[in-house]
Amino acid sequence: MKDRLKDFVSEHRDEFDVYEPRPELWQEICQEISVEKERQETKVIRFSYGDNFSFSGNLAFMRVAAAILLLLGCGLTLWMTKQRTEEGTYSLAAATQPAIQKIAPELVEVEAYYTSQLKSKKEELSEYDMKVLGLDEKRDIDRELARLDSSYIQLKKQLLTAPNTDKVMNAMIQNLQIRIEVLNRQLEVLQKIETLQKQTTEEQLSNETNV
Amino acid sequence: METSTYQDVNQQVVERCKGGDNRAQYELYKLYSKAMFNVSMRITNDYAEAEDVLQEAFISAFKNLHSYKSEASFGSWLKKIVVNAAINAIRKRRAELVPMDERIAGEVADEPSDEEDAAWQVDKVRRAIQKLPDGYRVVLSLYLLDGYDHTEIGEILGVSESTSKSQYSRAKKKLLEIMREPQFAA
Repeated sequence: MKDRLKDFVSEHRDEFDVYEPRPELWQEICQEISVEKERQETKVIRFSYGDNFSFSGNLAFMRVAAAILLLLGCGLTLWMTKQRTEEGTYSLAAATQPAIQKIAPELVEVEAYYTSQLKSKKEELSEYDMKVLGLDEKRDIDRELARLDSSYIQLKKQLLTAPNTDKVMNAMIQNLQIRIEVLNRQLEVLQKIETLQKQTTEEQLSNETNV
Repeated sequence: METSTYQDVNQQVVERCKGGDNRAQYELYKLYSKAMFNVSMRITNDYAEAEDVLQEAFISAFKNLHSYKSEASFGSWLKKIVVNAAINAIRKRRAELVPMDERIAGEVADEPSDEEDAAWQVDKVRRAIQKLPDGYRVVLSLYLLDGYDHTEIGEILGVSESTSKSQYSRAKKKLLEIMREPQFAA
């Protein structure tokens, strides 16, 4: 089947293109292209740091970077878990502190008072030279003090669980008072011995002068 | 052959364009803008719209030049972009073209007689094409003037080859009717 219209058109094909765009259109296209280019360039700057470090371009670099990142990630997680378990043990001890403060708020003050007392007594005691005074009792006292100390720690633990906190508190204060008492006694003994020694030396001196 | 030397020359220009050479871009524009504008004009049938399409098509062509493989000529690659942009434009403009139904029209009777084509003039045919409704005009223009066959037109418009054929037949019939109108001759 012959298409006469098609034949006619292809014969005169060139004559059909009669329109032309405005000459300014190229200018407009140019502007659009440069805007487009700028947009692309800003993108390029953001994502690549020179040819060597272009992330998409360098496969070897990417692999190494991935490996390093992976190792860093593993290391960090391990370190953090370790850190957390250590923190956990600390926090167990730390957690008792506020708990005690809740149960017996006055205990902190009491403890502070007695520990300062005990400290000063011990200092006083240490001024005496046991051996010169001919006493070897200090070890017994130390043992006694250590026993009191351990029972005190036990009482403190009981304080967290015991229903009657007043009783436990009293026991603790008693414990502290006993310690001070022990030290006081020791001091008294030492003072007596000292005065006795002084008296004997004075007597000896007077005897010598009398002779 | 003329086209092969054309292609070789283009190849160099296209390569320069890929490097962002503004002069090379202008060379391609000078070479193709008129033909592409007429393609766009035939489809959109509106001067301002045809310009918009041309601008959009050239920008998109320069931007996507890297995807152009020299399998086809640069001209036909560019033409595809223009045609698609123009068809998108008229689809946006008018949601409905002349419905492209799959109903295969019975063979449209051949043009009556030979005496008529003596009266055919390029200008008359061209103006008659512009009077066609969008759907007819697009198919007829793509087939007669832009050198696409019905398979290609079917692909471009997303219809079957037979639809393109029947649409063309109707368009041709309608075109001859328009040209026969007494007021058109005037």
